[in-house]
Amino acid sequence: MKRYPITAFSIVALTLSACSSEEASESSDADSLLTDDWKVIQEAAQGQEVNMYMWGGNDNINNYLDEWVAPRMKEQHGIELNRVPMNDAQDIINQLLDEKTAGKTDGSMDIVWINGENFKAAKDNGLLWGDFTGQLPNFNDYVDAAAPEVSEDFGEPVEGLEAPWGKAQFVFVHDEAQYETPPKSMDELADWVKEHPGQFTYPAPPDFTGSAFVRHVLYETTGGHEQYQQPAAEIEDLEQRLEPMWQYLNSIEPYLWREGETYPESLAKQDQLFASGEIGMTMSYDPALAASEVLKGRFPESTRTYLLDGGTLANTHFLSIPFNASDKAGALVAINELMSPAAQTAKLSPENWGDLTALDLEKLSPEEQQAMNEVDLGEATLSIEELEQNRLPELSSDYIDIIEKGWTEHVAKE
Amino acid sequence: MKKHPRFLSLFLFIGVFIFVIVPFVPLILTSLSFGWRWPDVVPQAWSLRAWEYVVNDGRTWQAVGISLWIALIVTAINIVLAVPAANALMRYRVRGRWLFEAIIFAPIIIPPFISVMGIHLTFLRLGLTETVLGVVLAHIAPTLPYMFRAVMISYQTLSTDWEDQARMLGAGAMPRFFHVVLPHLLPGILAGASLSVLISLSQYLITFIIGAGQVVTLPILLFPFISGGDPGIASAYSLLYAVIAILALIIMDAALKRYYQMNKASQNQSKGVKP
Repeated sequence: MKRYPITAFSIVALTLSACSSEEASESSDADSLLTDDWKVIQEAAQGQEVNMYMWGGNDNINNYLDEWVAPRMKEQHGIELNRVPMNDAQDIINQLLDEKTAGKTDGSMDIVWINGENFKAAKDNGLLWGDFTGQLPNFNDYVDAAAPEVSEDFGEPVEGLEAPWGKAQFVFVHDEAQYETPPKSMDELADWVKEHPGQFTYPAPPDFTGSAFVRHVLYETTGGHEQYQQPAAEIEDLEQRLEPMWQYLNSIEPYLWREGETYPESLAKQDQLFASGEIGMTMSYDPALAASEVLKGRFPESTRTYLLDGGTLANTHFLSIPFNASDKAGALVAINELMSPAAQTAKLSPENWGDLTALDLEKLSPEEQQAMNEVDLGEATLSIEELEQNRLPELSSDYIDIIEKGWTEHVAKE
Repeated sequence: MKKHPRFLSLFLFIGVFIFVIVPFVPLILTSLSFGWRWPDVVPQAWSLRAWEYVVNDGRTWQAVGISLWIALIVTAINIVLAVPAANALMRYRVRGRWLFEAIIFAPIIIPPFISVMGIHLTFLRLGLTETVLGVVLAHIAPTLPYMFRAVMISYQTLSTDWEDQARMLGAGAMPRFFHVVLPHLLPGILAGASLSVLISLSQYLITFIIGAGQVVTLPILLFPFISGGDPGIASAYSLLYAVIAILALIIMDAALKRYYQMNKASQNQSKGVKP
């Protein structure tokens, strides 16, 4: 009788270990990949299985990778690209931190999709592999490495640890049929919410988009972004400088949705309010998201996006390789392929994703430029030129921490 | 059965309708709608986009298989652990019994997040992360209490007299267990197994942290769509999830009924042979 459970358990354990994933591939001479010839890398990449860990909550993005990118990767480079859906990029970092603590060297994350705070956390904790972008032909040929949006990620120097994959810019979203002339500055917005009480709100920071909205308020109410290019610790009177922002946010609060007693907890919730017509405006850090929501029938046909007269925040999102990636050669080739003009042009189309290219248009051949310009971005999306001309730089994450904590204290609690 | 007061069955029907059927209606409508805005009571246009995505994504069916496989093994291990544990705790004088019970029931009260963070580091060192085995082991903590509780209650109504009687008739330990104890425990085990399967199927956080993206169950696919705000696909996945959970329960129930029928038949036979 006593033996029974034990045998049963070991049978179960045996069956399970037989089907658990096999750990292959050595990481010993992986670091030579940082200096090897591209041809050597391509050969090493043959037959590798590359796991790409990324947020998995958008069917367009998922389909772009599964149906557009993965088959080409297999055909052209013999690489099996396996998209792994995550709920939040922060989870990737937590996972890697634990793996580093436990000394795991044969990690299964080969490519991770990160930027901003996640990149800073990963960099500070040594979770990224190394300076690899110089190895990628497409990075060298098509990317302006000196441009601030490529060399810095939310104020943090990139140092070749991650390769730009696409660009995003903050836009406001409204229904043209409902409100013809939306407010294009924070002053106009303050008047607008008083005329249309209950029609505006923003996701509560630390929601990514809500937090970005608050940064626009910061720029417009405290006199521009230039003063915040230095580290937050070096500004002695930061508290006082931020004061007009809190005043502004508190002054519009009584006129917000539900009289500002509560805020949508995420952009998804806010979009839901907009989609159901409960509020008149939403926002997005993805300039083409509104267009794809129109295609899906969630947002009305007359949905349009617009920028503030003073410009809106823009950032770049990146692909990186973790320190313990098992298939680094495959990851390099895959990232290079994701940055190719063909893949970037496909990514630009709202049917696939609608994400702005990370490449420098001027470095492309005339045919490639034309292909990119011919992509129909949809009526809800602004032109690339208009977006490019109105970009504001992001704040570094030390400011973002201060603002997000300050918002809870000064706005949510009052 | 037949002579239920009519209002009672009507009441039951309305209750089932409101709490079980009605919540599915918006899910079904959302998963099939193309733009569904206030103030429309039902969607004005329809689309199969969400279902096409869910059905065509090969990951979906893999995830269904892995989810069920994990739930099944977790439940099997739970039975093997819970029956002897309940036997010992209910029938022997165990010193500090409350302590053992407290340990077994602790996962119900303590949020799994707390324990799984510690488990993750240990599993990493043991190489159990990213494996089905690791996820199975991690699922045992939140499911075992329910199985244990169900088996414990079955044991409460099983007097040792029955086994003593069997022993007097010459039955050894094995026949005693399989012919006297097990049939009595079975309804309890089934109740525990149903809960165990359902709870295992619904684990997100534990699967996510221990499986680290390499063990993809249905909740792993579903959660990004809930947080990412695609109600159509989230609804489609939720419906698929509900159908699979309900099917699992029905199959288990049918298996039990079949077992009883077979038992009855064999008992009748043996009665015929030996009066």
